[in-house]
Amino acid sequence: MSFLQYLINGISIGAVYAIIALGYTMVYGIAKMLNFAHGDVIMVGAYISFSATNYLGVPAVLSIFIAMAVCTILGIIIEGLAYKPLRGTSSLAVLITAIGVSYFLQNAAQLIWGATPKNFTSIVTSAPISLFGGQLTITGEVIITIVASAVIMLALHFFTTKTKIGKAMRAVSEDRDAAQLMGINVNRTISTTFAIGSALAAIAGVLLCSTVPTLQPTTGSMPGIRAFTAAVFGGIGSIPGAMLGGILLGVIETFSKAYLSSQFSDAIVFLVLIIVLLVKPAGLLGKQVQEKV
Amino acid sequence: MSTILSVEDMHVYYGAIHAVKGVSFDVGEGEIVALIGANGAGKSTILKTVSGLLHPRSGNVIFDGKNISHTDAHKLVRHGLAHVPEGRRIFLQMTVQDNLEMGAFTQKDVSKEDLERMFTLFPRLKERRKQIAGTLSGGEQQMLAMSRALMSHPKLLMLDEPSMGLAPILVDQIFDIIQELHDAGTTILLVEQNASKALQIADRAYVLETGSITLSGTGAELAVSDEVRKAYLGG
Repeated sequence: MSFLQYLINGISIGAVYAIIALGYTMVYGIAKMLNFAHGDVIMVGAYISFSATNYLGVPAVLSIFIAMAVCTILGIIIEGLAYKPLRGTSSLAVLITAIGVSYFLQNAAQLIWGATPKNFTSIVTSAPISLFGGQLTITGEVIITIVASAVIMLALHFFTTKTKIGKAMRAVSEDRDAAQLMGINVNRTISTTFAIGSALAAIAGVLLCSTVPTLQPTTGSMPGIRAFTAAVFGGIGSIPGAMLGGILLGVIETFSKAYLSSQFSDAIVFLVLIIVLLVKPAGLLGKQVQEKV
Repeated sequence: MSTILSVEDMHVYYGAIHAVKGVSFDVGEGEIVALIGANGAGKSTILKTVSGLLHPRSGNVIFDGKNISHTDAHKLVRHGLAHVPEGRRIFLQMTVQDNLEMGAFTQKDVSKEDLERMFTLFPRLKERRKQIAGTLSGGEQQMLAMSRALMSHPKLLMLDEPSMGLAPILVDQIFDIIQELHDAGTTILLVEQNASKALQIADRAYVLETGSITLSGTGAELAVSDEVRKAYLGG
């Protein structure tokens, strides 16, 4: 029965990674850049939710929407101020800038909220469900996280395959120049992508801190790196890939902690990543890019 | 006949490379104008500069009475400029139908009549509307690229090497369609390496050599000109 318990917990933490990975993968697909500050947007989202509930007395559910709104604006500002001026320059310059933005956000958070960890109150109030005479416990957080990620996945799938803006995003991701020749404003599309990715990061931040309640300025960095790994694992640029990669990563991590070694769980996760990339360089669901002649 | 496009002493650079050196030409409403010349003469660069993907360092591009030299590509589609780029550049991972919908991005909605018009012009696309564009043959991809551009109701259709990489029978078919579009009143600026085909259907043509126009005239005049015959028509 403990196997099933680990599996469910693994899927739950994996679902959080998946939501974060969606932000990485969408931005990569459309702007062709790795936004290493994405993990820190999660942390900002969690702090906003925390502040809204603890200092302003806002109900927990409403605080999520406030966090999403703040992170959406933050994402658009980051893209406009830090990345947009570098469009067309070397990808290394953009990468270094992203790392700079990451440190900026962490230090700004430390300035505003201090370095002492905050104790995040879970947004979920329902009691855990006990099954098989108490052998299997499913917490409300686990259910909410899995449901939220499934809803997000379906909504994103609908958005990118059925709506005009979503299709335009796919067009930009496939061929930026051709998309411009259709009349698609590439800058606005990239900005929209950052907005969506950052709103998802806010949700991920609240879900993450509801499960792991310690909130500090570096809260986003490790989940951010794991989610980035998940995005690469699933095939960067692919939305279903990010989802699959995130969940597999969460499950592998939880099983490693449970059965092998809790200290080496990250090492094991990255070992699996290396093996997958050796066998399938484009990731599990990534498309092998063919050079056209 | 009024002029829809006029390019005046246009200079374009790629970094330090001077790719287009003071080119001037114009396209009248309803005309087919061809730019012919060897690989690397600057033909595609000219089209990219007109459509706003590149901007000239000096000189002007006047389209439909407006100076568009420094207007970005996505804004020009709304003004009635459509550019079918070299290599077709259709969205290979999207369906035929989605590609056409992207072509109508600047329209309020995708009208049934427009889709029907494209399917009448290119019946093959109707059969394949649900198919992923990457699975189409080269000729079908060219047809999709052209119909995608037509979805925006352009005042000027620019075609870059529409016959590239196609079998001779398909080349004929594509040129028949260009002729058909012309007969229906579409203004076309055509860039081609296949000079003999281009000169057959062009009202007027310009010959481009290493970034400058060296000859111009009607299609018929250039087709019999000694210089053109020697350089581009195989004697």
